[in-house]
Amino acid sequence: MPVDAEKEITRLWRALHAAQDEIGKTYYRWRQVALESAGPGAKPLDVGLRAAEVFGKEIGKGFLPRLNWLKGEEAFLMNLGRSLADIWGTEGGIAAAEKGAAAGEVTIRCTRDPWPSWAKEYGVPMEEVALCRERMFQAIIEDVSLFFNVPLKIELVKAIPRGQGETVMRLSKAA
Amino acid sequence: MARLLFEWDYSHHPGAQSYPHLFKPIQIGNLSVPNRIKYAATEDNFNTHDGFITDADVAYMRERAKGVVGGLCFMQGVYMDPGRQGQGYVGQAACWDDKFIPGLKRIADAVHAERAVAGFQLMDCGRVGAVDVDYCHGPSAVPQRLRIFKPVQEMTKADIQDVVRQHVDAARRGVAAGFDMMEISGIVGYLISNFISSYTNRRNDEYGGDIRGRMRMVVEIIQGVKKVCGPDVPVGIRLCSEELLDDVRGNTPEESMETYQIAEQAGADYISCTLGWQESIYPVISRDIPMGNWVHLAKRAKQHVKIPIQMAYRLFKPGLPNEKIGAGELDIWEMCRSMIADPLMPKKVLEGRENEVRHCVACNLCLARLFRDAPMTCYINPVCAHESHPEFMDPKPAQEQKRIMVVGAGPAGLECAYMAARRGHEVHVYDRRGVIGGTLNEARNAPYGDDELWTCVEYQQAMCAKYGVQLHLGAEVTEALIQDELPDTVVLASGPVYPQLKAPGGDHTKLVNLLDVMSGRAPVGRKVVVYGNRKPGIGCALHLAKQGKKVTLVGREKSAGFDVNPSFKWRYLIYMRQAGISAYNDCVIEEVNDEGVIVKSYDGYRWPVVCDTVIVSEREANPSLKQVVQSEGIELFVIGDALVPRNLSSAVHDGYRIGMRV
Repeated sequence: MPVDAEKEITRLWRALHAAQDEIGKTYYRWRQVALESAGPGAKPLDVGLRAAEVFGKEIGKGFLPRLNWLKGEEAFLMNLGRSLADIWGTEGGIAAAEKGAAAGEVTIRCTRDPWPSWAKEYGVPMEEVALCRERMFQAIIEDVSLFFNVPLKIELVKAIPRGQGETVMRLSKAA
Repeated sequence: MARLLFEWDYSHHPGAQSYPHLFKPIQIGNLSVPNRIKYAATEDNFNTHDGFITDADVAYMRERAKGVVGGLCFMQGVYMDPGRQGQGYVGQAACWDDKFIPGLKRIADAVHAERAVAGFQLMDCGRVGAVDVDYCHGPSAVPQRLRIFKPVQEMTKADIQDVVRQHVDAARRGVAAGFDMMEISGIVGYLISNFISSYTNRRNDEYGGDIRGRMRMVVEIIQGVKKVCGPDVPVGIRLCSEELLDDVRGNTPEESMETYQIAEQAGADYISCTLGWQESIYPVISRDIPMGNWVHLAKRAKQHVKIPIQMAYRLFKPGLPNEKIGAGELDIWEMCRSMIADPLMPKKVLEGRENEVRHCVACNLCLARLFRDAPMTCYINPVCAHESHPEFMDPKPAQEQKRIMVVGAGPAGLECAYMAARRGHEVHVYDRRGVIGGTLNEARNAPYGDDELWTCVEYQQAMCAKYGVQLHLGAEVTEALIQDELPDTVVLASGPVYPQLKAPGGDHTKLVNLLDVMSGRAPVGRKVVVYGNRKPGIGCALHLAKQGKKVTLVGREKSAGFDVNPSFKWRYLIYMRQAGISAYNDCVIEEVNDEGVIVKSYDGYRWPVVCDTVIVSEREANPSLKQVVQSEGIELFVIGDALVPRNLSSAVHDGYRIGMRV
């Protein structure tokens, strides 16, 4: 039986997007459980930031075997930037790493981010989305810095307001 | 005058003529060692989980001691802290209290009973330790690269002093247990190597900084251990000659050589030259690394120090170490895996029985099991881990002699045949091919060292000749032959069958047989689909990719190489990636047509793959002749791939066990 390409791709496309959609929903369901367990005194932002830190540490473990200092500082930073951008990609966003304005800088630019929409659905402030993303990336960078003995930093330059525009982060060597 | 523990005279043995440099004495410290052979300390996970020595470990060591014919025989490294942060293996021997001395003494006694030199090794596993506790320890809390290892706690100065004291105390216990030589393990990511490496030691105090600072703890340990060992017990150390950690800013080779000089100045009596860490991204000891690839590092080490240099690492056969020792580029030939595969290897070499050596095939199954908390075993040696079981070590002669027909002269059939013949049976092996070796004749053509697998057949051939197995090559076993011969027992070792693809187009002319491709008999187009993502399919895919073909691997298993042990599988996956092989796992071929094939995933997605040739490497059990044998009322055994298609190891193990039982 010949392959109907349109049918196969449509099925795959739907399945992929359904799976990506579950990423955000699962996180925010978990967040509700965590807040309930933490009790009324807990600040939602603190819980979110702590989660972002734990996620970052965990994701960072996967980065360590793939990075290679022998490729040179510039390539190392670009590979790291691409790996960070790919996190958005797996979640259904569009992001890319590019050379930054200054030497030794990499800019990570996300032009489509599904997280603000998910957050809105669960009544979570936009501010939390941006800060958690920054904290997660910082946690990744902390372990990468420690592992390779190279001080690195990542900063949030611009955040997506309500899902429009772009989020920009700057990766560079720390002074 | 150096102390000599046991007199050995090798002059009347043929091996001493063929390999004169291996069987000449050497002085290490104040000890004279009769030859240049060493069984290097190797973990085996045979001991109790609280570190006490078991009968299995004693028997294992005694067998290796027999093999070194008077040389050095080192027991596995012991961990030395009651907190068990230094324990890297669940069955690792402990030495943090005097209560362990009686067990350790059993090993020293077993080695001495074979008139060999008993070596003791001190091994804190550092950042690869803490197998049973939550945190391991190290000079700095550098994150782990591999998830299987525990988080690292940075040691305080008091912790460092404790570790030095633990080494010294353990050395004292080792001497009390009767060991003749002491060794400090500083390799592959264990604690001492963590202190030495710029990758893992980021300290700013006197135990960090430059290479002298990073070696400070090592120097204190060597000096402390030397003191308790006294002049009669030489103290050596295993050190990396190259860490192979340049991608994470580890030590340079020059720094590594400086560590050798510092260890010598601190009083080390010898250095065992190693390389690589468990975290290195470079392969060091797998089969794809050519034999003798690293021996130049021993020569370089000898240019930097005056004390004896020992080395293992892909030196499986005696010729090269003999040559290098003769040339003054190496002093002692170390062995780990080669003596796991054949504990009597050097003894056989000495006795001129080299053709009876069962060679290691560098698959690293032994390591894969150790890292997964399983007792060590060997892919190729069915007796390994059974040294304390007399039924394995010395199978009893058969109570009644049988006439046995073995169908198939592959690894399973040959293994079974010689073992049955050794026990007194009359054994006839039939194979319709004109050669022995079965499908290994084709499998050995796969790249990246698979030709080494053939050493298994060479060994079996020698053993069959030794025990009088009668080979009938080019003779196909038929119903009539069985009825004519009417043997007492038939062993079906006829290998697997390669069934026709059960899909539309399964009889298409572009389908060819795996064995025909691997032997070069079948023409193969430029674009190829190999069906079956186990080892035979991977071997074929790599074989064709090396010829410049565009290869796609399709298979039912969730990951390619499901049947390859993880310590080797990563090599195949890297080679596949480098060769641009596309792998569709968890998939089947739904259809073969003129353009190529249609692949279907487990969840029903379908897509076409264009190709000129389809090679089916999937195998099934081979039931032929089974009914004939059973209907004649003849005792029947089915072994190897004829029973369930698996791998060389299963063939050998099946063959040995049935040979023991029949």
